[in-house]
Amino acid sequence: MIFAAAAVLLSSCEEWDPVVNVKYDDVYVDEGVTMTPNTTIAELKALYTTAGQPVKLEDDDMVIGGQVISEDRSGNIYKSLYIQDETGAIEIKLGKNGIYNDYQPGRWVYVKPSGLTLGDYEGMLQLGWRRNQNALGEDAADTDADGDNSDKYETSYIEVDYIINTHIFKGKMGTPVEPKVLTEDDLKANLATRPMPQQGPDFGRLVRLDGLLYGKEVFCLVYPDPNMPHDKDHSENRVFLSDKDWNIKTWGLTKERMIAHLEAGDFDAATLGDNSKPVSDPEVKAKLLKNAGAYAVSQYFKMGQTTVQIRTSGYARFADKELDPKILTGQYPISVTGILTNYQGSIQFTLIDEDSIVLLQ
Amino acid sequence: MTKKLILAFAAILCTLGLAAQTYTGGVKGTVINRTDRQPVAEATLVLMQGLEEIATATSDASGNFLIPDLADGMYDLVITAPDFIETRVNVTVNDGYVKNMFNLSMTPSQVVNEVDVENLVEFDLDDSGYSDNPTVLFGQNDVFNEIAGFNFSDIRFRVRGYSSESQDVYLAGVRMNDAITGYSPFSLWSGLNEATRTKNTVNGAEIADWGIGGYNGLTNIPVNASSVRKGWRGSILTNSALYRLRLMMTYSSGQLDNGWAYAISASARLGGNDWVQGQYYRSFGYYAAVEKQFDDVHRLGLVFMATPGNRGKQNSSTQEVYDLMGDNMYNSNWGYQNGKMRNSRLAITHEPIAILKYDFTPSYKFNASATVLYRFGKNGATALDWYDAADPRPDYYRNLPSYFWNDDEEYNRLNMSKSMWARDAWENQDPSVVHVNWDRMYNVNKLNIIDGQRRSKYAVEERRADQRDLNLAASFKWRPDRDIILTGGWNAKFNRTEHFKVLYDLLGGDYFLDVDSFADRDFSAYPYMTQNDLGYWMEHGEARKVRSGDKYGYDYYAQVRKTEAWFSARAEAKGFEAAIGGRLGYTAFWREGLVRKGLFPGLNDDGSAFLVDGQPVTNYDSDGKPVTSFGKSAVQDFITGAVKGNLAYVIRGGHRIYFNAGYFSDAPTFNQTFMSPRTRNTVIPDVKNVQTFTTDLNYQFSNNGYNLRLTGFWTYIKDQSDVMSFYDDSQHSFTNFAMTGIDQRHIGMELGFQVPTPIPDLSVEGVLSYGNYVYTSNPVMYQTIDNNASVVADTYGVKIPYWKSHPTADGETVRHYVPSTPQLASSLGLSWNHNYWFIDLAAQYFDKAYLDMNPVYRTDMATAGNDGIVTMEEVEYMAAQEKFDPAFLMNASIGKSWYIQRKYQLGFSLNMKNLLNNRNVRTGGYENTRLISNTKSKERYFRFDPKYFYMSGFNYMLNIYFRF
Repeated sequence: MIFAAAAVLLSSCEEWDPVVNVKYDDVYVDEGVTMTPNTTIAELKALYTTAGQPVKLEDDDMVIGGQVISEDRSGNIYKSLYIQDETGAIEIKLGKNGIYNDYQPGRWVYVKPSGLTLGDYEGMLQLGWRRNQNALGEDAADTDADGDNSDKYETSYIEVDYIINTHIFKGKMGTPVEPKVLTEDDLKANLATRPMPQQGPDFGRLVRLDGLLYGKEVFCLVYPDPNMPHDKDHSENRVFLSDKDWNIKTWGLTKERMIAHLEAGDFDAATLGDNSKPVSDPEVKAKLLKNAGAYAVSQYFKMGQTTVQIRTSGYARFADKELDPKILTGQYPISVTGILTNYQGSIQFTLIDEDSIVLLQ
Repeated sequence: MTKKLILAFAAILCTLGLAAQTYTGGVKGTVINRTDRQPVAEATLVLMQGLEEIATATSDASGNFLIPDLADGMYDLVITAPDFIETRVNVTVNDGYVKNMFNLSMTPSQVVNEVDVENLVEFDLDDSGYSDNPTVLFGQNDVFNEIAGFNFSDIRFRVRGYSSESQDVYLAGVRMNDAITGYSPFSLWSGLNEATRTKNTVNGAEIADWGIGGYNGLTNIPVNASSVRKGWRGSILTNSALYRLRLMMTYSSGQLDNGWAYAISASARLGGNDWVQGQYYRSFGYYAAVEKQFDDVHRLGLVFMATPGNRGKQNSSTQEVYDLMGDNMYNSNWGYQNGKMRNSRLAITHEPIAILKYDFTPSYKFNASATVLYRFGKNGATALDWYDAADPRPDYYRNLPSYFWNDDEEYNRLNMSKSMWARDAWENQDPSVVHVNWDRMYNVNKLNIIDGQRRSKYAVEERRADQRDLNLAASFKWRPDRDIILTGGWNAKFNRTEHFKVLYDLLGGDYFLDVDSFADRDFSAYPYMTQNDLGYWMEHGEARKVRSGDKYGYDYYAQVRKTEAWFSARAEAKGFEAAIGGRLGYTAFWREGLVRKGLFPGLNDDGSAFLVDGQPVTNYDSDGKPVTSFGKSAVQDFITGAVKGNLAYVIRGGHRIYFNAGYFSDAPTFNQTFMSPRTRNTVIPDVKNVQTFTTDLNYQFSNNGYNLRLTGFWTYIKDQSDVMSFYDDSQHSFTNFAMTGIDQRHIGMELGFQVPTPIPDLSVEGVLSYGNYVYTSNPVMYQTIDNNASVVADTYGVKIPYWKSHPTADGETVRHYVPSTPQLASSLGLSWNHNYWFIDLAAQYFDKAYLDMNPVYRTDMATAGNDGIVTMEEVEYMAAQEKFDPAFLMNASIGKSWYIQRKYQLGFSLNMKNLLNNRNVRTGGYENTRLISNTKSKERYFRFDPKYFYMSGFNYMLNIYFRF
């Protein structure tokens, strides 16, 4: 009996927590840290000085800070967090799902970028992790033509919790940032600031564009077999839907909508990237149907003479929402709020959610 | 063995006596304790002649007994006493004399050698789709079971390689195997060891007196008041591999002169253990029984018992995780909340059993009984639930170094620096990474404010399987002639098990939304499809907000009806004993959905298509049948039956040779038949009865301290089905794998022996179980995904070509084995008993244990890879089955008891297992079902890492007990 009692006493108290805790104490909300940034986002971006050469940041004292302007709740933004200060905004490639659960819009976020990598993706600067390496630690050649590590990206995702916990710090909650209203001239000015390493000051920012008219044109790249290589060297595994609307009336293409279009023959006139066969070819059609998935769609709009591609993920909750018939006429202007991005010298626009689209008349 | 079983029943009959004629012959003697030569009082002596019980007697306080009135002849005298091992001697009465046997010594049974059923709790494989339920060997009156039951429990040895479902366990004559899963139900009474101590067991295909059963033995636990040992008994126990403290107190009145008998027992099991963090018990047990013998003919008994409480569970992880933590016993289920340890996976149960039993004994030639047994209450298992948020499980594969780097470039995991960071977090044991991060989940929930209310993104769910299980059983035993015994009976089971989820803890939020988070990923554009309760959504226009304690997720009844009649006959002549028996029954079950799920709305009551916003949304399977979540499924029914035969030849001097054979045609269980009962009524296409043929040949020798059993067996099991459901994050959905036509063959031998040595009080004992348990068919597989009514083209209705074996590049064929038990298990030990001291030492060796296989890795789809071309190299890699390393273990026990004033007894036993502190013994696990498909060349797939359970290192159990 003494032995048993001793055993009980000697065993750690921690072990008895779950035995004695019928009800656990509530957990209080963590207020967040306060840090003093010593570098602005614009200054950080300016460190990228040579196109094609990602910058591994090494200044251990550097701190940047900004407020969260993106939200992945609707699913249109994926594995990315945009923060913004007075000087500019930057995308942090936080490779997680449901980022908004930890980084709510308006929350202050501080980053100690030392160890992270600043790199380009088709005209947009991103803060991420260094790309893949070989066993010797040398940067790897293009190893994964389709994914995160394709040549087009100079950084990779920051998804290791330990990296996040030691580089990206949650600050206090703040008031959500108001979008900056841009004119067509602003867009032109941003576009003119190129090529890399120069970059327009508003890219990555939360902005509002007013008076967009529908351009009756989409762009969508579909892969007959997404499990096989489908980079530009494998054009036989690509189908471009471009230059017209292809009867795509939604913001994105869900899997169900994709199947419906294929079955309706909407894409029959399109051809494989190597022009060898049309989509109407039974073999091609069968493959597309079998491997059907969700696809991002760029719906083309005009702001004055400037083209704005509103690109929406097929996984967004509003992907299957049809554009208002009035919008589709090209006669009714809309106002959109979202993240201004740049893709190969064109304006690409990322909606935060469905409410970001307002029909003006 | 069968003869021994009769004894239990005979005890009731014997009070009547048999003497119609007067003889002068007899038997007398003194029963003594072998270890201290002290007399043993209240030993029961039963004199047998063949099958027939001639007389009984009880030893007095000085151990003396006398059995008078015996005709000349040869008899067997069977002596039993509480806390002693049964002894059997031959007696010859001649010339009308009373034969004096002088001292008949008995060996004390060792209280230490009791297997705590909780040692063998189910592995927590909730999300894996696998099942692993232990089988428990009871060591009563069989030398193999006695040694193996104690020594092989930690390695999760399964008798003859059979699954838990095949082990028939009866309580008061009612079969208690779970109506839905078939699992043996030990956890219903674990912690009530004293009340359930008395057990009657037969092995293999032997015929028992309380039912026909199957091919893996039958155990009956009478649990009535008079079966509990008389007096007060208490114990305090600590087990360093299980819980810190067990307290148990039991009282039994024994049979009182006024015909009453009553017994009560209570227990508590509390605390954690040395080996698995986060694992703990807060479990209790209570038992109350009363019994009344009205006259010699009628007896009525009532029992009520349960083991309420909760228990924190252990989880399995991959070897990578164990290596990172430097601990093969790492448990991913727990984390800190406000600095306090909290386990996310609890078993919370309170399932009382009420039994009313009537015994009718009009004559010594006939007795019958009728039992009503009702099991009810709640059975819950908690787990984390989340919606559109990061996977909170610390050992999620994307959190591990291996996700970022593999030396083989073909894996396409090429970021060494990320891998190093991930490794650092684990090796530094950062609590926010290596344990469940409760505090973060609270923060997320509290900050997710929608319309002024906190919508929880993380919650703890409680999966419930609440049974209402009513059983009726009646049986008789009739001896029309001194050499013939007939037994028979009828039983029926009405089971309604409600499966549903309850919101257990909102973790700081105000509500959780009742939507299918998996469907939500795919069909967020179609809100009706994501509803767990479509009826609510249609009525209210929004998903239901679930508060703490509310049902959500899924809700259905599993309805099971079973009835069976059985009969057996036993006869004896000229040293031969023969028995035949059979049963015939009917089993029916169906699913009854209580909510309509958005993904599978089915039809309206009038048979018309279900409409949402005026559009028909009913979906149909490949046969054109509507896929339905709501209402009653088609009834699945089966005619079941079995025949068994036993033949034994007894050679005087303690030898017995016996042969058993049986053929069984049994219904599959509910959970082997429904494809995805949480979501729909769909059943596996070609499910049918499981057919089993078994035979065994045995030799038994028991005399003068020698004990031996040698058995050879052969069993063929045909047409089994199985369903595995698990979360597949490549599909964002639960995936269900069903297999039908699984055949297996079990061939092997069992040896158990106890042999005295020339050194007084020292004996050598050992067991060996060696078998070859293999799969002999390639089953058909049916894969479905919960998010989709249509079937998965490559893996639906296809044969699994590499299930029973796979070819190698060298043209050889590698067989696949029945997993989760060592097919070679052996133990050799010394046992010393003297003056109430005992010391046991045993060395054990185990080998031929294999990992549970998943069907996917054995398909053409998995061996082909993205390019669709199957190569020999891919087959050899993908289809291979893992064999565990052999294990060598040492165990030791020591104990002593003292009698105080002849009235009280105090004793202890200290039981030390795994003395060599071997921490690398795998006892189970399962293969992951996922594939790494994004390979560099796109020509092949890789497997995900399997998960394992390990045996504890050195552990001890100290039991201090007292009786008065």
